[in-house]
Amino acid sequence: MEFDWNQQQRDFRATVRAFLDANLPDNWEEIAHGPGSSAQTTFSKQFCGALADAGLLVPHWPERWGGRDADPWSAFILAEEMWAAGEPRGGQYMNVNWIGPTFMRFGTEQQQERYIPPMARGETLWCQGFSEPESGSDLASLRTRADKTESGYRVNGQKIWTSYAGHADTCFLLCRTAPGKGGISILLVPMETPGITVRQIPSIIGEGDIHEVFFDDVEVADTALLGAEGQAWEIVRTALSLERVGIPRFALASRMLRRAVEVLKRDGRFTHGAIDQSAKAHAACEVARMYSYNIIDQRCHGQPPGPEASAARIATVNAERQVTEFVVEHLPEALAGADHMLMAHHQRAIVAGIASGAAEIQLNLIATELLQLPREPR
Amino acid sequence: MDFTPNEDQLALVSAIERIAAEFTAVPTDFHGFALEGEALARELENGQYFDIAAIPEMGPVSAATVVERLARLPCTTEVALSMLVRPQIDIELPRPFALVEHGRPGRFVAAAGTLIVIDGDDIGIAHPRPEDVEAVESLYAYPMGRLTGNPPVKALSGADADTVRTWLRIACAAEMAGLLQAAIDAAVEHLSVRKQFGRPLGTFQALRHRMAECAVLAGGVRLLALKAAWSGDSGEAALAALHAQDSASRVVYDVHQMMGAMGMTLEMPVHLWTYRAKALLSELGGKGAQARGVATFIFDAA
Repeated sequence: MEFDWNQQQRDFRATVRAFLDANLPDNWEEIAHGPGSSAQTTFSKQFCGALADAGLLVPHWPERWGGRDADPWSAFILAEEMWAAGEPRGGQYMNVNWIGPTFMRFGTEQQQERYIPPMARGETLWCQGFSEPESGSDLASLRTRADKTESGYRVNGQKIWTSYAGHADTCFLLCRTAPGKGGISILLVPMETPGITVRQIPSIIGEGDIHEVFFDDVEVADTALLGAEGQAWEIVRTALSLERVGIPRFALASRMLRRAVEVLKRDGRFTHGAIDQSAKAHAACEVARMYSYNIIDQRCHGQPPGPEASAARIATVNAERQVTEFVVEHLPEALAGADHMLMAHHQRAIVAGIASGAAEIQLNLIATELLQLPREPR
Repeated sequence: MDFTPNEDQLALVSAIERIAAEFTAVPTDFHGFALEGEALARELENGQYFDIAAIPEMGPVSAATVVERLARLPCTTEVALSMLVRPQIDIELPRPFALVEHGRPGRFVAAAGTLIVIDGDDIGIAHPRPEDVEAVESLYAYPMGRLTGNPPVKALSGADADTVRTWLRIACAAEMAGLLQAAIDAAVEHLSVRKQFGRPLGTFQALRHRMAECAVLAGGVRLLALKAAWSGDSGEAALAALHAQDSASRVVYDVHQMMGAMGMTLEMPVHLWTYRAKALLSELGGKGAQARGVATFIFDAA
């Protein structure tokens, strides 16, 4: 057992930090108010291009696709540093974490050649067409239809909560080609295709973050099908297991907690209640960090994803909750314009238990798979 | 960063599992508050397991895994302070170890070979004669005792006192990790077999979610305890002890709710873990003191 970084890992983290120092503009914290906003999307394209040039966008990808086969720790250190800085990659983190690797595994040669190189160069943004108005946690009940036509599919339906849809080039779309769980397929749909309408949903979590996407008689070519018809569930499970831990939210939560504590100390306001609550919040952040590291370690040792990933997610949700509650209770002015980054963190943190699936689903998985409690009747 | 035990640590885990296997059952005629593990102590003594933290290939992190594992047993013997704190002071000091805080009763005090005496900010070491200590009846599932005499107390220097305080916190967190896990395991067993409304209680989501949340807390206590044992860092120790005591309040309450009235009986041995956890809740100043430690060592607050 070794709970410290080796020299190579330390060097890599230092390289990423140096890159951030050199490439984030002075007004970065004002831009970082919403990863799906126009300002951040524009900045992210330029930033990801520079990351790619420095060999820091996809280091964990195979050499064939522009990476250098770096181990999962490198990918996670990169993700930690990026998220802690406010995620200057914007929505492109999805390309790097799971969309690109999913195409490497399931894409046709044509799909790989078309979509992977622009991701590796940091030029393209994707959105994830999963949730629907009637299908949230029960994703398998989705209704968006893809009817077979002579040359491909005609898509009709609606997606909702779609992040980055306003600026995305392509949608990783789940749609129904037949009834039942085995009747869901994945289409890779250019967002400029006629019949697609995107409407931003005003929200408390930042500009450009969530949208409705309508598909009205959208004609999609045969070549847009990823894998086989009905293979979506298997592909999505694999894709999500590639990500395993998800966003290292604890990294920004921890940084913001320290920032808030520094302000309170400076102002002589770091007293009893604040001390107790900040210490507990820090513990929650470190628990989330250790759970996440444990998952990365399992991956390095070739172990399949297990229920510990769900525990890591719950620990992360706890951390975000405790840090936001601490800031609201002890540094309330942070949410009233006093600190752009603390405000932006709050906006991102409050969806920790909702984005990428309700945390309650993970609690069920922990109960069944980790604790081995009997399953609920269905 | 590598969470996997090395070969020596794996061998230790196997050896401890073999020992633990002999002590997993609660004697059917036992209906007491504390189940003392004298035979367990003898086995550990014979195998020189109390000294493993001092073996370079093992180190304190290995000792912490042993403390956590043995805390999951229904019987108890003084392990945590001997394995984690004693090597930091003097490994030749006689065990069992016990802690006396501000004159209050403490665990294992009546049989202690060495006492760590905390009085205000001062920490000292004492070796009580039998007439200096006495056993105390209690609800806690540890043998409790108190200091009645005045054995000479050798004060530790400020630096040594800080080291001892750090390792006491680590010992507390490692022991709590095992206690919480065992309490959760007991509740899971009950929820899996106890049926109401025609189905096992464990199929009801209201209970499943609570147990899942408890499991995440207990796992977190273990991770922070091991990390602190590995580093010996004062801030990480305070953090681990804080999370241990904070999580224990929640887990102990929830576990007893899951067990219902059966958990209130001495026949159902869940108290052997929950009432050990309760004994640890107030140690070392409780959550407030651990939080102040975090503020001092991690947030650099005066």
